[in-house]
Amino acid sequence: MLNTFQQHFHDALPSATPDEAARQEFAKSLKQFVQQGILPGLGPVFKARATPRFERETGRAPADRRDIRKAMTPDPYFQHYAAVNRISQELLWDSVIDSIDRDADAVTEHARQGSARNAGELRIPDDFEVPRYVSALDIHCMPGGYAGRGEDTDGVTLGALYDRGVYLYAMGYTGPDNDDMGRSVCNYIKRKLGGWAPRRILDMGCTVGHSTLPYKELFPDAELWGIDVAAPQIRYAHGRAGAFGLDVNFAQMNAETTDFEDGSFDLIVSHIMLHETSGKAMPKVFAECHRLLAPGGYMIHADLPPFDLMDPFTQFILDNETYYNNEPFWGAMRDLDQVQLAKDAGFPAETIRFDTAPMAVMEFAAQAASGYSQEAADAVADREFTAGEFAPVGGWEVLIAQKAAA
Amino acid sequence: MTDTMNRSAKGKRPHFYETPALDQMMSMIMVLAGEVSVLTDHVDSIERVATINGLDLKAGIAGLALDQAALEEREARRQALLGRMFYLMRKEAAEAAAAETGEGYSSVIAEIAVG
Repeated sequence: MLNTFQQHFHDALPSATPDEAARQEFAKSLKQFVQQGILPGLGPVFKARATPRFERETGRAPADRRDIRKAMTPDPYFQHYAAVNRISQELLWDSVIDSIDRDADAVTEHARQGSARNAGELRIPDDFEVPRYVSALDIHCMPGGYAGRGEDTDGVTLGALYDRGVYLYAMGYTGPDNDDMGRSVCNYIKRKLGGWAPRRILDMGCTVGHSTLPYKELFPDAELWGIDVAAPQIRYAHGRAGAFGLDVNFAQMNAETTDFEDGSFDLIVSHIMLHETSGKAMPKVFAECHRLLAPGGYMIHADLPPFDLMDPFTQFILDNETYYNNEPFWGAMRDLDQVQLAKDAGFPAETIRFDTAPMAVMEFAAQAASGYSQEAADAVADREFTAGEFAPVGGWEVLIAQKAAA
Repeated sequence: MTDTMNRSAKGKRPHFYETPALDQMMSMIMVLAGEVSVLTDHVDSIERVATINGLDLKAGIAGLALDQAALEEREARRQALLGRMFYLMRKEAAEAAAAETGEGYSSVIAEIAVG
């Protein structure tokens, strides 16, 4: 498959000179190559070389993902894979920083103009404390992290960096506006929840609001809030929504303890947020969802399926994110019993389940978005999945629970 | 360009190879591959812009017959490129020819210090 996916250049995104654009395109191509050209070889290398060596050295077969890591890390094939994968991640952010550094004033001004068009509220408190699970490491190696340090915390540039960078990171699989996850969950709600339409929606850990906006598009009458612990992301999200002509509220808040009233939402969602919290925070987030939901309201988290649903080699591949991509909670989160956490938070057991929200990538091809050929979209939707690829085949894993009726 | 954004992600970077210098070598190779890709895209853009403006550079390039002067110029450029790439081997050969050694270098340091 030739991945020709192109991001839709809305008004808030940083511009790129032709050479900057070519560098960004190369970073995306490199990630695509690692995924298509190198990743599939890891399985055969594990069987043919790493396993026999591990058996010679230890007298037993590798049993779990920790054994497999010990067997694989000395192998040159794995070393090249992991090194180039990491380098592609670093080149990606660096290529976008070039554009923002050249054009920072315009990026800031465009976000300001977008905010002026967004009638929704922008709430950023003076004394907010960013939780350690977000500030301890720059998650997925984005320099400055979500929230920034020092001067970065005041502006919007880290939001712009995330908006462009995460598109390249996802290699365009999440659509021209990075919104596939939100779009997929919206579609899931429309198709599976029998015509139910939420009136007040909260998106937790929304960063730049890329997954948030589809909820406004598909439920235009709903009041929509996006919250995140990172001020630069929230500020940029507000301007970005304005650039899309949408009125959406954004606030810097911690999903563990928000400022909203009991029972004030009937839908709470998150998209790849939980794995960037912590062992202590995650139960609190579930409890907060239960507190905030009105009776009969739904909580839907689109995130990573637990490790117990996959074989040890797949676990090992996925767990590379923990070790090599500044994702400290990635592996531990997959070991948690998320269903039990939802029960403990007060959700009735019979309402809690994992399900799949089908990817919306085919919709982008139908809209003739730039680079989203029918052929490429088909290839993404129907491909044979290799563990470690960015997006699973078919859809996003979602954890759903419904608060008991009054 | 003025650097204003932070370019170093917080969090200890892992090593993937037994020899740490190899991690740096691989990153340089990838950056260079990126620059080759950027240049190739740029040349492609030149051809396409020329075509839009009525000059079919691509066909002209495909049909170009190199005369003797051009052949020599290109070959000289390629040899010079390879010479630059392998400058360390040239240096090693020169050292071998001149019988230069590490011990010899150290003895010069000692000699100059007091000489």
